[in-house]
Amino acid sequence: MSVNRSGSILAVDFGSVMTRTVLIDVVDGVYRLVARGESRTTNDYPAHDIRVGMNRALQALTEVTARRLLDEQGKLIKPEKDDRSGVDFLVTTASSGRSLRTILVGLVPDVSVASAIRATAGTYVDVVDVITLADGRDDQGRLNATLLNRPDLIFIVGGTEDGAEAPVLELAQGVRLALSLLERDQRPSVLFAGNTSVQPKIEALFEDFAQLFIAPNVRPSIAVEVIQTAQRRLAQAFDAQRSLRGGGFEHIGEVSHAGIQPTAQSYTLLANYLGETIRGKGVLLLDVGSAVSTMSAWLDGSVTTTIRTDIGLGHSAMNLLNQIGEAAIARWLPFYPARDEILEYVLNKTLRPATIPETPRDLYLEHALLRAGTSAMITAAMPIWRKTVSTEGDMPPFNLIAVAGSGFTRTGSAGFAALLLLDAAQPTGITRLLADPYGLLVALGAVARVNPTIAVQVLDSSGLEPIGTCISVSGHPTPERTVLKVKITLESGEIIKQNVAGGHLWVYPLPAGQQAELDVRVTGRDVHLDGKTRVRAKVEGGAVGLVFDGRGRPLPLALTPAERAVQMPLWFSELMRLPVSEIDPQWLVAPAAPEETPVAASRKKQEKKRRQPKEKKPKEAKPRRGRRGAEPEIDIADEDRFDISDIEDDDQRDSIMSELDELRR
Amino acid sequence: MPFYPDQRHLLEATTIRRERHLPEFTAGKVTVAQNVSVNIREIVARGSIASAYHIIEAGQSVRLKKNEDISEFLLVDLNQIVDAGTPLAARPKQRKPIVAPIRGKVVYASGSRIIMQETSEEIQLEAGVEGKVVAVQTGRGVTLETYGTLVQGVWGNGMLVIGQLKMEPEEGLDHIFGDALSMKYRGTIVVTRRALKETGLVTMVEQGIIGVIAPSMDAALIPQAQAHTSAVMLTEGFGDIAMSALTFNLLTKFADRPTTLDAYTPSRWESRRPEAIVNPSSRAGEKTAAPKINLALKVGMQVRLTRMPHAGKVGTVINLPKSPTLLDNGLRVLCAQIELVSGERAMIPLANLESFGQ
Repeated sequence: MSVNRSGSILAVDFGSVMTRTVLIDVVDGVYRLVARGESRTTNDYPAHDIRVGMNRALQALTEVTARRLLDEQGKLIKPEKDDRSGVDFLVTTASSGRSLRTILVGLVPDVSVASAIRATAGTYVDVVDVITLADGRDDQGRLNATLLNRPDLIFIVGGTEDGAEAPVLELAQGVRLALSLLERDQRPSVLFAGNTSVQPKIEALFEDFAQLFIAPNVRPSIAVEVIQTAQRRLAQAFDAQRSLRGGGFEHIGEVSHAGIQPTAQSYTLLANYLGETIRGKGVLLLDVGSAVSTMSAWLDGSVTTTIRTDIGLGHSAMNLLNQIGEAAIARWLPFYPARDEILEYVLNKTLRPATIPETPRDLYLEHALLRAGTSAMITAAMPIWRKTVSTEGDMPPFNLIAVAGSGFTRTGSAGFAALLLLDAAQPTGITRLLADPYGLLVALGAVARVNPTIAVQVLDSSGLEPIGTCISVSGHPTPERTVLKVKITLESGEIIKQNVAGGHLWVYPLPAGQQAELDVRVTGRDVHLDGKTRVRAKVEGGAVGLVFDGRGRPLPLALTPAERAVQMPLWFSELMRLPVSEIDPQWLVAPAAPEETPVAASRKKQEKKRRQPKEKKPKEAKPRRGRRGAEPEIDIADEDRFDISDIEDDDQRDSIMSELDELRR
Repeated sequence: MPFYPDQRHLLEATTIRRERHLPEFTAGKVTVAQNVSVNIREIVARGSIASAYHIIEAGQSVRLKKNEDISEFLLVDLNQIVDAGTPLAARPKQRKPIVAPIRGKVVYASGSRIIMQETSEEIQLEAGVEGKVVAVQTGRGVTLETYGTLVQGVWGNGMLVIGQLKMEPEEGLDHIFGDALSMKYRGTIVVTRRALKETGLVTMVEQGIIGVIAPSMDAALIPQAQAHTSAVMLTEGFGDIAMSALTFNLLTKFADRPTTLDAYTPSRWESRRPEAIVNPSSRAGEKTAAPKINLALKVGMQVRLTRMPHAGKVGTVINLPKSPTLLDNGLRVLCAQIELVSGERAMIPLANLESFGQ
């Protein structure tokens, strides 16, 4: 398939840590990924301008392609010139920065408001309050909710197309009254996606008063939901808020096609495309970032996108710890963490989000965070997925999982990504694993808004990095007894046979670009591959190859650090095909009770003393201390110092202190 | 391709531009003009945090007719602050006017409703540095420019103090725990090169120390540090990390000098950092350039190592290999070869290096 060249495209994604650029152009009649570059995002100190990081990433592109993208003033050359410098289109996405603080206003929580909540998936929206006619608040309560929550956006829905107009108008008038109490430049934007017949009155209320976005009714009837346009308007509101907050976003928004779009919307778009293309059971796109994590799942024809601003490995590491607790992280460690070790690791990661672990112990901590965070995200999404597919407790059978985020993809070895995904996501059945280390999915989602055909061509021609295919047993295999009888027929006709024991992983290194015929039989009681005991399939290789996971689902992760110290290095060695790297025995010594600090000891002593009955001291003997800053400075040489902590008797010390105070006065 | 490491400034003499903004969601007013000089304690903006609104249904009390508006019968001005019980609106000769139910500002009067907003606590924003106002952000704050020594940290307990910089005694800050006679540190900002312990925090209170610059601290002490009215700034991180000699030596050089310690607690949505600014003794003719933004990593550059096992150490870049290096933990990433002060050489991931700025 070839297309007429409609212009070169530069896609830029501003993440919390990295700014990624992708250059797309026609090569041999087909749109392809020409080059990609990246640099650190620079909206923080000292640059305070995202354009600095973008320009660095563009310079990286120029170094690779010899194509000039910036002019002498450091501005993007647009449109493309005859000498092929510059680009025709710039598409931008962002996940960095604060979410859109949003108040939802609607009639009934279960109908239009529920649709509005679904429409917010895909945009970085933080719903700070929901105002409905049924919320039990009076006008004053709603007024205060609207003003004191300081929203960036008020999203008004309500009324089916043939429904009543008055209640919707009443709520809108309440919003108008609240906003009239704010200065013009402090008023939030308003998005209306309710009863279309009310629209002219809404326009009259808010036009020239606040920034107004209009979308078709999200709930034209009780049975029908239309949220796509509302989602696009939310993206526009997101762009408008980004531009208002400065940091260079305002300049980028002006020159980019369709402004700055939320990164997460790209995942929704691509999950839908991949789902429809593969026509399998499910597609999962997972991106665990520094500040935000996003997951788009296509299951049985519908996409659900989850954005978690409380799950991340850098900026949001502390939020993640608060969300899931230390125990959820410690259960992925093959050692006893020292007192506050997890907390300190997480705090330091939050302070320096871009850093990476250097020691084996730190890597275990980092990956424990990643595994626990991913697992929490999937667990939270399960009830929504189960509405679409029956999973009997296991992960739905996704045919394809594509993973993004440095924690998974920038380890220098695809084996890490494979093991982390198998542990945290626990796929079932046969699943193709892909990695997206350079943010191609996000770029293509943004490109699809310019021309969907281009996005499809690039995905087909350049694609993502294949990790391999995993074949995962569900149920509880008996340890060390054969659970999978594997027969692999290679393209050359060569046949490989292997038995995989329960509790183990086995990898056949089928390279990327090669296919094989697979015949797998499952042996044992209550174990299966996606409900079957024999599966024949054509599978594709990857950087790791074919991974046979005989450990079972849910994953039988040991309960004690000592057991995990055997289990986890073994799984790592089996997947990486490396010798087992044993855990340092020192790590398996349970930490001793914390030592008593001098302050704690002193407090304890005082506490003990307080409990003992004693004679009341005369009032004048009580030590009196001056207020801070009230006493004159007295210079005393170090050698003349008298250390009263040497005196053990509390009464004697108090008495001396009072004398000293008298002397000072 | 050049790599631009994070910058955490440790600069002996630099031009410093800082935004001083009222907290987000604060309605405020800037009290200084552009191009004026301000001192450390000068108030540059005042604001108030949004407070609750009260809707007063006045129609019935004032017996409003269909074509009448409550604003016609208002006895106070809009935006006037009134005490509770103050008559707000009445018809001429009406015996019982409608009165203010609270002390607050009359913000709205239309139709049959009057809306009042409770008076809120005023926030005063200090300049924090001695410098010049180079820009005014209406309603929000100002950008100040100053000249001085800049030492940035990674964490602070949220307090801002101004005081004389003092170095800890040889034996450490903890050594003066319980020593009632030492007045030397009262009202000062003390620099310690050892990790801050619980005894150190108690010493701060007992000795009247208004600020501490420490390399690190146990994470468990955060609530205690945050409860302090004194400022605590960490230069390296949480845990038991020593202060780099470079940081300690620079601070030692400025002992006894007036210093602003802004122990700001880093926030995900703000790009401000905790920092100590040593104000110059005389600013005349000493203006230097602002820190460079585009500072690529290169051989010979001094860097701070931010992750264990080298956290807090300072080294010099001696080689920048183009291909990734396999670390002990199995990760394969781009690294720089660093020579530490001790002479030890190590391959350190580029992501774990910080530049001190130029």
